[in-house]
Amino acid sequence: MNKNTYLFKLLFTCFFALSTSILFAQNFVVKGLVKSESGETLPGVNIVVKGTATGAITDLDGNYVIKLDDSNATLIFSFIGFKAQEIPVNGKNLINVTLSQEVEGLDEVVVVGYGSVKKSDLTGAVSSVKMDNIPMKPSNSIDGLLQGQSAGVQVTTSSDNPGASSTIRIRGGSSLRGGNDPLVVVDGFPIGYAGDLKQISPSDIASMEILKDASASAIYGSRGANGVIMITTKKGSKNTTEITVSQQSTVSEFTSELNLWRDPVLMARLSNENRINGGFVPLYIGAENANGVYYPSVNELSSGSWPYYTEWDDVVFRNPVSNNTNIAVRSQNEKTQFSLSGTYFTDEGVYIEDDYEKLNANLNVIHKVYDKLTVGTNVIFSKGNRNNNGGLAYWRNPVFPVYIDNDPTKGYYMAGVQDYSHPIALTENKTNTSDFLDFIGSAFAEAQVLPSLKLKSQVNYKFGRSINDYYNPKIYTQDGTFNNGSGGIKNWESKETVSETFLTYDKLFAEKHQFTAMGGFSYQYYTSRSSDLKAYDFLNESLGNENLAAGDPEKQSVSNSLTEIVMYSWLGRLNYTYNDKYLATFTMRADGSSKFGPNNQWAMFPSGALGWKMHHEDFIKNLNVFDELKLRGSFGISGNQGISPYLINSRYGQDQYYVDGRWQTAIGPGYVVDWESHTGKKIWGGIPNPDLRWETTRQLNIGTDMAFFNRRLRVIFDYYNKYTTDLLRERLLSPSSSYDRMWVNDGEIKNRGIELTFDSDIVNTKDWGVTAALILSKNKNEVVSLGDKLASGLNTDAITGMQYEFSGSQIEAFRAIPNILAVGQPVNVFYGYTVDGIIQSEEEGLAAGLDGKLAQAGEFRYVDLNEDGTIDEDDRAVIGDPNPDLIASLNMNVRYKNFDLAMFFNGSFGQDILNTKAFDQPSNMPLRWTLDNQTNDYPSLRDGRNYYMSDWFIQNGSYLRLQNVSLGYNINELNLSWFKRGRVYLNATNLFTITDFEGYDPEIGTDGIYWGGYPKLRKWTLGVELTF
Amino acid sequence: MKKLNKLIVGLAFVIGLVSCESLDVEPYGFYSDENFYNTVEDAEASVLYAYDALTLVSYAPITYYLTELASDNANVKPSEGADAQAFVNWEVTSQNQLLFQYYRCAYIAVNRANAVIENVPGKGFNEADEKRLMGEAYFLRAWNNFNIVRAFGLAPIQKSLIDRLDETTASLPADMQEVYSFIIDDLTTAIDFLEVNRVVGRADKVAAEALMAKVYLFAASAKESGVPKYDALTESVDDMYAKAAEYAGAVLTGQSEYYFDTDLQNIYDNTVPNGPEHIFIMSMDRSGTQEGDYSKLSKYFIPWIGGSAVYLKNADGSLTKTHDGWSVFQTSNELAAAYEPADKRFSELFVSEVFDAAGNSLGTVSNGVVEYPFCRKYIDPNYEGDKTSTRPYLLRYSDVQLIYAEAAADESGLAEYNQIRRRAGVEELPSLAGLLKADFRKLVVEERQRELAFEGDRLWDLRRTNTVQQNVTKAAGLSPEKVAFFPIPQREIDLNPNIN
Repeated sequence: MNKNTYLFKLLFTCFFALSTSILFAQNFVVKGLVKSESGETLPGVNIVVKGTATGAITDLDGNYVIKLDDSNATLIFSFIGFKAQEIPVNGKNLINVTLSQEVEGLDEVVVVGYGSVKKSDLTGAVSSVKMDNIPMKPSNSIDGLLQGQSAGVQVTTSSDNPGASSTIRIRGGSSLRGGNDPLVVVDGFPIGYAGDLKQISPSDIASMEILKDASASAIYGSRGANGVIMITTKKGSKNTTEITVSQQSTVSEFTSELNLWRDPVLMARLSNENRINGGFVPLYIGAENANGVYYPSVNELSSGSWPYYTEWDDVVFRNPVSNNTNIAVRSQNEKTQFSLSGTYFTDEGVYIEDDYEKLNANLNVIHKVYDKLTVGTNVIFSKGNRNNNGGLAYWRNPVFPVYIDNDPTKGYYMAGVQDYSHPIALTENKTNTSDFLDFIGSAFAEAQVLPSLKLKSQVNYKFGRSINDYYNPKIYTQDGTFNNGSGGIKNWESKETVSETFLTYDKLFAEKHQFTAMGGFSYQYYTSRSSDLKAYDFLNESLGNENLAAGDPEKQSVSNSLTEIVMYSWLGRLNYTYNDKYLATFTMRADGSSKFGPNNQWAMFPSGALGWKMHHEDFIKNLNVFDELKLRGSFGISGNQGISPYLINSRYGQDQYYVDGRWQTAIGPGYVVDWESHTGKKIWGGIPNPDLRWETTRQLNIGTDMAFFNRRLRVIFDYYNKYTTDLLRERLLSPSSSYDRMWVNDGEIKNRGIELTFDSDIVNTKDWGVTAALILSKNKNEVVSLGDKLASGLNTDAITGMQYEFSGSQIEAFRAIPNILAVGQPVNVFYGYTVDGIIQSEEEGLAAGLDGKLAQAGEFRYVDLNEDGTIDEDDRAVIGDPNPDLIASLNMNVRYKNFDLAMFFNGSFGQDILNTKAFDQPSNMPLRWTLDNQTNDYPSLRDGRNYYMSDWFIQNGSYLRLQNVSLGYNINELNLSWFKRGRVYLNATNLFTITDFEGYDPEIGTDGIYWGGYPKLRKWTLGVELTF
Repeated sequence: MKKLNKLIVGLAFVIGLVSCESLDVEPYGFYSDENFYNTVEDAEASVLYAYDALTLVSYAPITYYLTELASDNANVKPSEGADAQAFVNWEVTSQNQLLFQYYRCAYIAVNRANAVIENVPGKGFNEADEKRLMGEAYFLRAWNNFNIVRAFGLAPIQKSLIDRLDETTASLPADMQEVYSFIIDDLTTAIDFLEVNRVVGRADKVAAEALMAKVYLFAASAKESGVPKYDALTESVDDMYAKAAEYAGAVLTGQSEYYFDTDLQNIYDNTVPNGPEHIFIMSMDRSGTQEGDYSKLSKYFIPWIGGSAVYLKNADGSLTKTHDGWSVFQTSNELAAAYEPADKRFSELFVSEVFDAAGNSLGTVSNGVVEYPFCRKYIDPNYEGDKTSTRPYLLRYSDVQLIYAEAAADESGLAEYNQIRRRAGVEELPSLAGLLKADFRKLVVEERQRELAFEGDRLWDLRRTNTVQQNVTKAAGLSPEKVAFFPIPQREIDLNPNIN
C-alpha cells in the first residue's frame, strides 16, 4: 500500500506542474433551433465550441443560446442517436440545425484495453453490447445479461438460486486445470474473472465490450487467453441533471409440473416390486422397517385408511418475489460529470426462507481541473446477505406427515432416528447465513501533456469480505447428530491493488498517416486470507454458533490461510491507419508473475492485426453493393495463469502423531493434495516445480465486417483458430520418489470456430421500427495432447486405442466417472457402455455376453462392442459429447410510436446430456419392463441393480428457448418541466422451450450432467423507469 | 518542454519504484524447505512426521495383506477385491494397487526420514537432542528399507531428500550387499546415537538393536537357504548368525526396560501399550480424527457377527467387549492346525465363541455364527464406532528371544525358546541332543508362526528360509524368484527409466 501513496503524491505533483489557466472574454451570441430530419424539435442536444470546453444544450423546445468569444468559431452539435455536425459560425447570430439520425455503429467508439477505438477502425474481433439495446430483464449480476448478445460467447445459467452465478465461455474452453473464465475489466480496473460479478448492479452499466481474438485480448497478456469483458459504467452526460428512478418487481413460477409421486398407492406398489425384485424385504407392508419407521401397506393406502398425504413441494417451495429499486442522479456541466446511484435488490429463492438481499452504491465523478487535466474517481460499494435454506427435501415421501398426527403442537414427524431431511425442522432449527461486503474504488488522472500526447494514470483498489455463520443442531442434521451440535464461523477477505500508468500518442501526419501509440506499465498485488472456526459437542445449543466456546474445548478447531500474488507488466500498442483504408495494430505485453517459477517468471505476449477498409476503394465503391466491407486478420499470443500460487514452492504436510499418550504435531515433506475419488486414498504432492509457467494460446482470427442497403443490414463474420499449449496439469511421479503428483506444463488443446452476426434495421420510420439480430456461433473443441501417456497415467481404449483420462468426480449410481478427456475428442465427452434395448429372456441375455443377474429378462442389453463374447470394461466407448455444435440467438425489436416489443430467442444445438434421472422417476417408473409389459424402452425395477454408465442415459440436449419478451411504453411528450421521460414495461423470461430432453431443463453445466432437481423458473417482471 | 521533462522523470521514477519490488512471494501458512528446520521443535515434529508415515491407511493395514494373506496364516474374505485375492492366490502382478500402496508408503516414510537426516545436522541444536532425533531417523530409514527389500528385493534406495524432478528416478542398487550395507550402516549409527528410552510410539536404542538382529537373521538365513540374489552378500552365513545373536543378546541381557511378559493376554491388552514386551509399537489412538490417527485394524480380523457389540471371554473368565468386523483376514486351517490342543496361544488368543454382556453364548464357529476362529490380538474394548486404539506390534521382546534362539541355535537359545513354549503351556524341548543347528532353527521358525501369528512376520520367515512353496499351497509351483520378491509396481517401471 505504501507504493500507492507514493504514486498518488507523484501524480499530483505532476499535475500541479502542468497547471495553466486561460481566461476568455465571451461576447458573441449565437441562437438557433435544432430539429430532427422528421421535423421534431430536439431537446437536450449538446453544443460545444470546437477546441474549447464551452458549451450549451437545447431547451425543451429545441432552442439554444451560446456565447462565444470568437465569431469565427465552429460549433459541434451532438445528440445521442444522431450524427454529430460541425458548423462554422462565420459571424452568423442565428444557426438552425437539422440533425440526421445516426446510422448504426459506424462512428461508435468501443472500449478496448488501455484505450478506445472507433468501431470502424477495429482490426480485432471485438463485440460491443450497449445496455440500452438489451431488454432490462431481472438479473442479479451482469453475467446473465450477456447471454445471446455476442457471437462466440456462451453463457450458461444453470441455477435459479438467489445470487447464483453464470458460466461464461468465450470461444470455447482452452484450459483443463487453469480456469476458463474470461477476465473482467471495469472502467479500466481488471477486477478478476467472470462468473460472479455480483458487486456491480446491472443498471449502472452503460456498455460491455468483449475482446475475443488475440489482437484485442493479448494486451492483457497472461490473463487474456480466455477473452476479456470490458465493462463501462454509466457516467453523467447530456449537459443536464437527471434523476432516474427505476423499479422492477418480479414474480416467478416453475415452468413445468414437478415430477413427484402424486399417487402414493402406485408409488408403494412399485417400491415393493422394486425391492422384491432386488431380493429385499418390501417396505410398504404395514410394519416397521429396520430403522423403526412404520410404512403403511398398499392396502392401507388404497383403502384410504392411512391418514397422511403430504405434497412436500407445497411445503418447501414458494412463488418467489424479487425487487430491484435503483435511483440514480447523473449530471454534467462544462467541467464535471457526476453520477451517483443506489440499488436495493431483494431476491427470494424458490425454497422457503432462502433469501438474498443486496445494496449497491456507485459514485462516479469526472472533473476537468484544467483544460488539459482531468481527474476522476469511481467508487462501487456493495453489501448483502444471504440466508441459505436451499436443498430442502421436496422429494420427501408423501405418506409421511409434516407433524406428528398432523398436529403442529406435537412436533415434527421424523422418519426414524437417522432422518436428516425434514424440511421444516431444518428451516426452523438450522443456521446458515452469509454476509458479504465489497468495495471497488479507482481514481485516475489524465493529462494532455502535448497536443498529441496524453498521460493517464489510474490506481484501483478492491476489497471483498464474507462471513459465513452456521450451526447444525444436535437433532435433525447429520453433522449435528454425529458431533452433538456443530457450529462455526468462516471468514474470508481479499484485497487487490492495481496501479497502471500509460502514455498515448495520437497524431495525423500528412493527412493520411494516422498514428496512435500507447505504452505503459501495470502493477498488481492481490492477497486473500481466510480463517475458519469450528466447534463441536455443544453444552447448550440455544445460542447456536453465537458462542462457539460452548462447544467442547478439546474439540474446537481453527484454521487459516493467506494467498499472495504479485504481477508486473509492461505493455504497448501501435495503431497505424493509412488514408483511412489500411489499418494495422501491434500490441505487446510482458508479464512477470509470482505464481511462476524463477526459471520462467517473465513472459511476452505479442499480437498483430491488419485491416483493409475495402469500401473506400473505388473498385468496391463502383459495385454499389457494400456500404462497408472490411477485411480483418490477426494473430497473437495470450496466456492463462489461472492456477493457485505457491506451486513453485516445496510444501510440507502436517499431521498429528500420538506419542506417549498425547497428540503431537508432525510436519515434513509431502502433503495431501487430494483424495482419490473412488478409494478415498490420499494423493501426495508438494514437490516444487521451479520451471512452471503460464499456458500459451496462439490465436488466428480472420473476419470481415460488411454493411448493405444503406447500412440497414450489417454482417460480421469471424473465423478463429485457437491453439493452447503448455496446459497446466499434474503429472505422475515414480512412487519411489514418495510423491504421486507434480504440477507441470503438458498438453495441448485447440478450439476452432466461426461466428456470424446479422444485424438489420428492417423498418425505420417515424412511427415504426423493426430490428432483428441473428447471432450464430460454432465452436469445435479438441484435446490434442494430454502429455506423455505414462507420466500422465492415461488409459487406453481397448477398441480404438484412444488415450484418455477421467475428468470430474464419480457418480454413485454408476460407480463411474462419466466424463473423459480424450486425445482427439472434445473435452468432457461421455464414456461408457452402449445399450441396444432390454433383454426379453435369459437366453437372449446370455447370448449377449452377460451373466448372472445382468443376463435376466428386464435388464439392459449391453452391446459387446469388441465382440469378445463378454461384456466388460473393454466394451466402453465415447457415447456422447456435451459440447454444443451451434449456439444461436435471435433478438427482435419492434417499435410502434411509444410502444416497443423485444423478443429474444436463445438456442443451443447438438449437445448431449447425461440424464441421471432417465429412470426411477414417477413419470417413467410405471413404464418399467414387466412380464406383462415386455417393453424395449425401460428396464425392470430391481433395487440394488448396478447400473453401468451407458448411452441409455444420454439424451439430446438441443433446445430453442424464448428467453425473454419485453413490452414497453415510453412516455416522453408530457411537456412537464419537472418530468423528462418515462418507461413502463412488462418482461417475461423463459416463456417456453422447445426440446426433446426429458428432464426439466436442458440448460445445465458444461460437463453435461443433469442431476434432476426441480424445474427452471419463469419470471414475470413489471418495471417502471422515470427520469426527472 | 520543461514540464514534459519533469513528467517523464516523475514517470520513470514511479516505474522504477514499482519495478524494484521483487516478484518473490514468501510462502504463508504452510511450511516448506524455506521456513522449516529452524528449531529443535521443528526437528522433533519432522521426526514425528516420519513415524506418522507408518500409520498411513495404505501402509499399516496393507502390511498384513503381504505378510499374512500371502503366507499360510490367512485367507481373505471372498468378496474382497481382486487385488486382495491376488495375495492369497499368489497372482500378484505389478498392477496390484495394494502392493503399489505399500511400496509408495514405504518410500514416503524413507523420504520423511531423509528430510531429518539432511536438515537437522549443522543447525546448532543441543547435541543430545540432535543425536536422539538423528538416531530415530536412521532407525526409521532402516525400518522402511528393510520392508522394501523383504517385499521387493532390489528396489531403488533413496539416500537423500527428494525435492526436484530429476531426483525422482533413482537407479536400482547394484546388489543385495549394497542394500544390506546401507541398512546395517543406518542401524549402526542409530544404535550409536540412541539411548534406552521408552516412549510409546517411538524407537530407542533397544529397538535399533532388535531390528539389527532381525536384519542379520534375515540375511543369514536367506543366504544360507539359497534365496535368489542373497549370494551377493559378502559376509559368511555364520558371521551373520553370530551378529544376529550378538544384537539380540544385547536386547535380552543389556537392558532392563523391556522383558519377558509372563502373562500371555497381558501382551495384547490394548490399555497397556507400554507393556514389558513392547520394544516398538505403532501408536494410534481412537481419539484421532482420521483413519491412521485412529486404527480400524480390529475390523480386519474380526468376522461380521450381526453388526453389533459382542463379548469375548478372557482367560480369567471376565468378558471383553468389542465391535464386530469385516471378516477380511480369515484364520487359515493350516494356522489353526499348527497349534497343539494345549497351546494357550490358540485357546486364549483365538476366539471361537462370542457372548453377550451377561455371558450368554451368542454363537460359535461350529454353529456358524462365528465365521472362523479369529485372532484377538487387536481388540479395543473402549472402541468408538469403528475407531479403535489397536496398534500393530512392531518389535516385541519374544520376537527378539526367538531371533536369538534361531541365530545362536545353542543351549542359551534353547532356554529362550523354552521360556516362550512354557508360557504357551506346551511341552518344552529338553535338550538339543540329536538335533542339528538347522533342525533346531526349523523348530524356531515353526514356533515363530505360532508366537507371532498375525503380527506381520510370517511371509518374511517363509521367504528367508526359502520355504514359501512348501508351506503355501498356491505358491507351490512358482519359481524361487517369484516367491522371493513381489514385482516392482508398474508405475515405477513406467516412470523410472533408470531401473531397467
